[in-house]
Amino acid sequence: MRQYDCEPTLNDTEVLEFCKNGFMMLEGVVSDEINRRTNEYLEEHDGMEPTDILDEDWFMDGVIKHPAVAGALRSLLGKDFGLPNLVSNHRIQCPQPAQEWHYDGGDIFGPQLNYIQVFYYPQDCPRELGPTELLPGSHFLYSERDMTKHLGRIRGSYHAVSPAGSIFLTDYSIWHRRSESWGSGLRNNVKYNYWRTSPPTRDWVIDPDFDPATADYTFKGPTFRKQFQDCYDAAEMYFWLRGEHDKFKLIGGQGWPIPGNRNDVPYGVPEGI
Amino acid sequence: MGSKTVQDILYLQATTTSPTSEVVGMRIIENGEISDGPHDPDDWPYQTVLEAVRDGWRIIKFPELALMLDDSRTFGLGFEFILEREGRL
Repeated sequence: MRQYDCEPTLNDTEVLEFCKNGFMMLEGVVSDEINRRTNEYLEEHDGMEPTDILDEDWFMDGVIKHPAVAGALRSLLGKDFGLPNLVSNHRIQCPQPAQEWHYDGGDIFGPQLNYIQVFYYPQDCPRELGPTELLPGSHFLYSERDMTKHLGRIRGSYHAVSPAGSIFLTDYSIWHRRSESWGSGLRNNVKYNYWRTSPPTRDWVIDPDFDPATADYTFKGPTFRKQFQDCYDAAEMYFWLRGEHDKFKLIGGQGWPIPGNRNDVPYGVPEGI
Repeated sequence: MGSKTVQDILYLQATTTSPTSEVVGMRIIENGEISDGPHDPDDWPYQTVLEAVRDGWRIIKFPELALMLDDSRTFGLGFEFILEREGRL
């Protein structure tokens, strides 16, 4: 098992945004040269699991350990996070119909974040090449996996339209699918996971102005659930990442962490934070 | 239009159990063909379940409320109505 460590790059607000949305896009971070080599490699190794690409130093340094990616992962998964040991390539010949909505098998829903699923586009992925469609906030939206297969268009879904070299980090539980494509040509979408090896703690970039008592835990899109559940879940996940899940408590009502134009801190802020 | 009668199906997921609440998801089976509908939610054929009913669709399944009774878990996408009407091949 290979591990890696580096300096974290995300601050409290960015960590909380990941908690709320369940994903983070890093647009065009990988160099053109590495994208070119990756596409060439995937042309020669066109199977669904080209894991041997992890034996290539240029890929490990230019993609897997890319500073922008590794810094974000270090922030979310802690020190000495585990590197991928399995690579999938969702390589399709466009056009294709949309895939069925799903989350990947083996998931455990909850506030914990012990692994992160990453997608890498080594070529441009405009809307017509069927980018991954994600449902923001759905990492908290429990459903039996096979009970999502009849769903179609969903309000608020996000299409990961992005330039070559883009990498997006996702909570493993997030609902996603390949969107329909109407362009022509091959599209690679390389997928792999990173793993937590150390207990969660608040060792990302500390923002001295960030106050968990008054932070904005509100999700900005449709939540598909009862009012304020999004705030509760994002706050719980954020506390889990701080290593303070035991302090997370809700009193309900208009108390913390739901939003409001208050003249003081909310009632119900957990003690000792 | 042919003479063979088929069942058209409309899945609508709404924000509440009310047929007047906003539709947040859709899929349609019409004349035996499955479609997700228009990309832009503003272009969906129905913005509420009631609009679909007024257009001749009949509700054949209401949201499964028993699934909503566990506060600690959510079960799927919003509140799902399934509707049908007669189509022809």
